[in-house]
Amino acid sequence: MRLLKTGRWITIVGLALLAAVYVRALAFTPLERFQGAAQKIYYIHVPSAVCAMLAMGLVGVAGILYLLLKDPRFDRFGEASAEVGVAFSLVMLTTGPLWAKPIWGTWWTWDARLTLTLFLFLLFLGYLLLRGAVTEPGLRARYSAVLGICGLVLLPFIHLSVYLFRTLHPEPIVLKPSAPSLPSEMLVTLLFSFLVFTILYVGLVTQRYAVSLLREQADPHA
Amino acid sequence: MPENTPYMVAAYVITAVILVGYAVLLYRRTLKP
Amino acid sequence: MPDVWRHAWRLARKDLLIEFRSRTAILSAVVFTVLVLMVFNFGRDPTAVAAIDLAPSILWVTFTFAAMLALNRAFQLELENQALDGLLLAPVSRSSIYLGKLIANLAFVATVEAVGLPLFAVFFNVSILPVLGPLIAVVALATIGFVAVGTLFSAMTARTRFAELLLPVLLLPFMMPPLIWAVLATAALFAGHPLSAVTGWLSFLAAFDIVFVTLAFALFPATVDE
Repeated sequence: MRLLKTGRWITIVGLALLAAVYVRALAFTPLERFQGAAQKIYYIHVPSAVCAMLAMGLVGVAGILYLLLKDPRFDRFGEASAEVGVAFSLVMLTTGPLWAKPIWGTWWTWDARLTLTLFLFLLFLGYLLLRGAVTEPGLRARYSAVLGICGLVLLPFIHLSVYLFRTLHPEPIVLKPSAPSLPSEMLVTLLFSFLVFTILYVGLVTQRYAVSLLREQADPHA
Repeated sequence: MPENTPYMVAAYVITAVILVGYAVLLYRRTLKP
Repeated sequence: MPDVWRHAWRLARKDLLIEFRSRTAILSAVVFTVLVLMVFNFGRDPTAVAAIDLAPSILWVTFTFAAMLALNRAFQLELENQALDGLLLAPVSRSSIYLGKLIANLAFVATVEAVGLPLFAVFFNVSILPVLGPLIAVVALATIGFVAVGTLFSAMTARTRFAELLLPVLLLPFMMPPLIWAVLATAALFAGHPLSAVTGWLSFLAAFDIVFVTLAFALFPATVDE
């Protein structure tokens, strides 16, 4: 099936480019003065964060479109985006603490970014669990759309509450993270990584979408 | 600081495992009849 | 527009009559609340942690669990005897069904909270009377947030296999922002801070409520229609 082949190729390209990002980040980008090697986790953590949020946003949009147009393609896309979102959230949840430990002195900190990550991960899981619990495809699609839309609307409120909670309960900082203004080589690496993660998102979602389509074709009454 | 390096290595390795692993998982799901 | 409210109110009355006539549900919920408060007491080392430091958290964790318990049952009445189909065939709009359920669930949870709050004050020696007005406002707004989303979600989970487990998993992320603001507001009230400190949290709670009641109202038909 052509969609599947396209998806696979995009993913392969994405993974190859990921290797290139690795090489560039590790060998050709300067070491940050205060955070040392751990700062390089940034080049993976931030792009996957953006992609996870993109994934959630698109799940919500797919939900709206499904409820309005009743096209099952949107439901399939939502499912694919949610699963890929789980993968990216998992990357965030593992790289986050690995960055926090050397920099903040603790594996976990309830700072806005990590907490938001955890929320995203749980929202994705909830979405997939709900899908798993409903067998009838039409019902499942409608329920997923409802949950997806609610999740999307929740995101700004999570930002609002977690950020406020955090600023009122500051934790001791071992090393202050560097200011956002990055020297140009680091910026290039970061942007390159953004691009690669986006390519990976597209490739993985396409593949996952194709998997759903294949399953439906194999067993229309699933 | 060289002592940070293990964390960086772990992060890069885990990320690769997750992303490549998921891609492989998807590939194998489509191989089944 | 008035028809929607009339029908909603009638549906709510039906639910509440059933609930309060048998009284089992409301009594169980109240007993549960008492037990949770007791757990918090024994879960704390009194020499290490003062009750007043934990008080806002104790109150809000208790209310969160109580609301969750109540919402698990929200659509259970309809599951028995397939009453939901009957309800859907009746000449009332889907929106009135949601509003009716919302009102009924709010009344139920509010009753549990009305008993739980004085008990909490007594058990943990927290003087709530000086701040009772604002405290009730915080509780009311947060509860509306919990129940608005919870009513919508329980309509979806009611027909799934692991409903009692799935509802908390889906709902808790949505309860956390109101929970955070409610805890912050309650802590400010108990600490004797001026009202101006609390109005910020109240406006966030209100904004959350307006957005999610509207959203749930709009999305509910999708959960029951073909």
